[in-house]
Amino acid sequence: MCGINGVFAYHGAANPPDEREFTLTRDHMAARGPDAAGAWWGENRRLVLGNRRLAIIDLDHRADQPMVGDESLHVITYNGEIYNFPALKAELEARGCRFRAHSDTEVLLQLYAIDGQMMVEKLRGMFAFAIWDAKRNGLFLARDPYGIKPLYICDDGWTFRFASQVKALLAGGKVSRDPEPAGVVGFHLYGSVPEPFTLYRDIRALPAGHCQWIDESGPREPVRYANVASVLAEAAHAPLAAADFGAQVRSATLESVRAHCLADVEVGLFLSAGIDSGALLGLMRDAGQSKVRAITLGFADYVGSAEDEVPLAGAVAELYGATHVIRRVTEAEFHADLPDILDAMDQPSIDGVNIWFVAKAAREAGLKVALSGLGGDELLGGYPSFRDIPQWTRWLRAPSAVPGLGAGLRWLGGALGLARHSPKALGMVELGGTYRGAYLLRRGLFLPFELPGRLGADLVREGLRRLKPLTRLQASMTPDPGSPAARVCALESANYMRNQLLRDADWAGMAHSVEVRCPLVDYRLLQALATAVQHMSGKNGKRALAAAPTTPLPAHQVKRAKTGFSVPIDRWLADTAHTPMDRPVTKGLASRAWGLELFEAQWAPAGP
Amino acid sequence: MGPGRTLNRVCLALMTDAFGGRGGIAQYNRDMAIALANGPFDAVEILPRVAPHALDTPAQKVRQHAPRPGRFAYVLAAIDLAWRLRPETIFCGHLFMAPLGLALARLVKARLVVQTHGVEAWARPLTLQRLAAERADLILAVSRDTRSRVLAWAAIGPERVRVASNTVAEDFTPGDGRAMRATLGLTDEFVILTVGRLATRERYKGHDRIIRLIPRMMQTGLRPAYLIAGDGDDGPRLAAIARECGVGDQVRFLGHVTRETLPDLYRAAQLFLLPSTGEGFGIAFLEAMACGTPAVGLARGGAMDALCDGELGVALSPDDMCDGLLRTCCDLRAGLLETGKPLARRVDERFGHAAFERRINRLFAEDHPD
Repeated sequence: MCGINGVFAYHGAANPPDEREFTLTRDHMAARGPDAAGAWWGENRRLVLGNRRLAIIDLDHRADQPMVGDESLHVITYNGEIYNFPALKAELEARGCRFRAHSDTEVLLQLYAIDGQMMVEKLRGMFAFAIWDAKRNGLFLARDPYGIKPLYICDDGWTFRFASQVKALLAGGKVSRDPEPAGVVGFHLYGSVPEPFTLYRDIRALPAGHCQWIDESGPREPVRYANVASVLAEAAHAPLAAADFGAQVRSATLESVRAHCLADVEVGLFLSAGIDSGALLGLMRDAGQSKVRAITLGFADYVGSAEDEVPLAGAVAELYGATHVIRRVTEAEFHADLPDILDAMDQPSIDGVNIWFVAKAAREAGLKVALSGLGGDELLGGYPSFRDIPQWTRWLRAPSAVPGLGAGLRWLGGALGLARHSPKALGMVELGGTYRGAYLLRRGLFLPFELPGRLGADLVREGLRRLKPLTRLQASMTPDPGSPAARVCALESANYMRNQLLRDADWAGMAHSVEVRCPLVDYRLLQALATAVQHMSGKNGKRALAAAPTTPLPAHQVKRAKTGFSVPIDRWLADTAHTPMDRPVTKGLASRAWGLELFEAQWAPAGP
Repeated sequence: MGPGRTLNRVCLALMTDAFGGRGGIAQYNRDMAIALANGPFDAVEILPRVAPHALDTPAQKVRQHAPRPGRFAYVLAAIDLAWRLRPETIFCGHLFMAPLGLALARLVKARLVVQTHGVEAWARPLTLQRLAAERADLILAVSRDTRSRVLAWAAIGPERVRVASNTVAEDFTPGDGRAMRATLGLTDEFVILTVGRLATRERYKGHDRIIRLIPRMMQTGLRPAYLIAGDGDDGPRLAAIARECGVGDQVRFLGHVTRETLPDLYRAAQLFLLPSTGEGFGIAFLEAMACGTPAVGLARGGAMDALCDGELGVALSPDDMCDGLLRTCCDLRAGLLETGKPLARRVDERFGHAAFERRINRLFAEDHPD
């Protein structure tokens, strides 16, 4: 896990990369990689690649980056983990390759030398990397299928830049901060910035599951090589006996957890009272991890209440023989950390504070790597959206098809004052008739029709035109994944999880130099479970996960309502918001207030 | 390949003017047509709106059709050519032709490339033009600044908007400027030159800013002679400003200077100055530097490309123009600015014809594996 960056003056008229800018960008990511810093300059100084390293596999400096291949034909800077690298290495050795180090980085380098850009298809893991190809005089970029690792790109027409963080690119001082209306509107719609947009017009994310080629003509359009919806669609009509459902979940999740435990340092776990992390702990033990340290957050405000996760998590830790590390967080600590949280938050996100504290606790415990149950709800139907969205779509398909009815009811509801406590209810008929519209209702922070009053009609019109929110949501479930559960799985995985949960896990984990690994966010796992996802109904997905360890999670654990890493954050945030709240705080309204606060405090673009 | 298309790769270029035209855009169009013909295409067929001056001889494989000044006649001629030639690519030399270009491209299943230059693409264009541009396979911009402004109004992937910088003709080379100085009656004056239209609509070029600076230059002991090449309706206003400032003798309005005379004029000057805030690129900067004369502009807009962010020419901050210019004059007199052949060589490396053709060739060839 590292921070990577690079500057490529590809246009013949461009000045060579500025060393100061390059270093400022790289070292802005010092927390991502405290163990080493490296730079590699191309022969004619038109290109520089940088890396900040967090050493996890092959701790020796021979595995530092950027890593130069034989005869300097290929050079790589890479962020992530390739979990199947031992198998790939053995395959390459059988094909005559010789290795100097024991790192996955070198495997990537040699794999590219042999397979070229097709290599990405063979990789299992989370990654974002750039490989300089001296034979073809170009730069090859790739990002993992789910977009676990970030990669931001910026092209001014002469010079191409990339980095693991938006703020790192800005820190270099040569990238425009002109606002991107699609990013601004997107944040208000979702509570996080939807890729490929950022808040800045000149900076974009290389989309998840895409690669890109850049040479002296400039960057080509990113090419997709992996897509969640496609994997699900391919399994759309495959039969699955009910009896095989649990067995599939068991074998596939165990295999994924085993792969994700690959490291030359200790691998810990973020443990809540929920099913996902509890099952992971059981599976870690099944995978041979006999001594696991499990970190649980507890909040002073919750001690003695049903919301306190510590007792339940403690019981799970005891069940699987883990060392339980309890970290209590107080409101005072939250307020003390808030400036650092805002500083580390790469793009605005209404979530992420929880991961900040659990990663902080992991770091205090001396852990560099921790598994997280992130992704279990998206893959195995843990969210209410798996029930609500298909239901709303069924009920509202007919009324939403009546021209003008949705808008009319919205207007009427507004006139009757319904917007005050339940603003999203106004959009039910207008949006609820399709999966994409219902998803926007379910996940939306604000709805499109609420934005002009907040951001100005021109900005919103332009932002929506560029963002095309419904078109993009539809694209994330194309080709049709087949079943209601698979459609919601694709929507949640390619939107909420990708743009919010995974981004939060990255910036908040990396701020503490802790690598967060997500065994339930894994393309191979998705391929293995695609048929099972088609046959998910009710809560059978999560039940199967709870039953996956050899010693299953106890029944009371499974029945407990899902809380995840719940924090008393709504109230803390309400206290933080400068705007006094004159109404009872619901979670949704508190999120809105916090979102606006974040945006205005940190990211509102400077005036003209 | 669409039905009826010949095996030859033909580019139909819809241009305002090219051969027989005057000004930066016509020059760019000519350079582009020649580069396309030397590169990926077997034939480049230009349909100009106007060709007011004697036609130059188009290069091999480049054919310019009769101009059609009328809008309706132009559209008919374009449809006729597209239908008969079945071009592989429709090149739109101006944004306002993009809707026509898109219609033709769809009609004959050709690729659409839209060229953007400067001011025409800076503000949000008409909806039809915007929609057509957004559907182009490739938008070329003369500078990073123009590209950035296009991306501000166009909902299009940034990879489809590329920079194809201006180039400079090969007869702009360093040389002896003494004959021209003598012709102009100049002796040991410090000669400053600006080349550009004196149009009321183009006051952003900033001739008046220089005129107002001349008294300060004189106070520092310089003996400036400010040559203004170009004609236009703003001339009388500028002459009045010169008189007001008491520098009527120092400012020389040369009027329109022929293309053949330009290189010698650049060579006669010690400094080329164009403090413009509205250049799409500013080809005159390149011409001056290719003649070995240092160029000074403002760090604004497309000029930053010609000046290479201050690495090739001098890019002054608009807030510090006065002091910055005086400092530049001192630097030049102290021999601290690169001039002559070393400067010209660097211009050639970055913007010479070979570099331009290579760039265009790659931009147009990359989608064609053959």
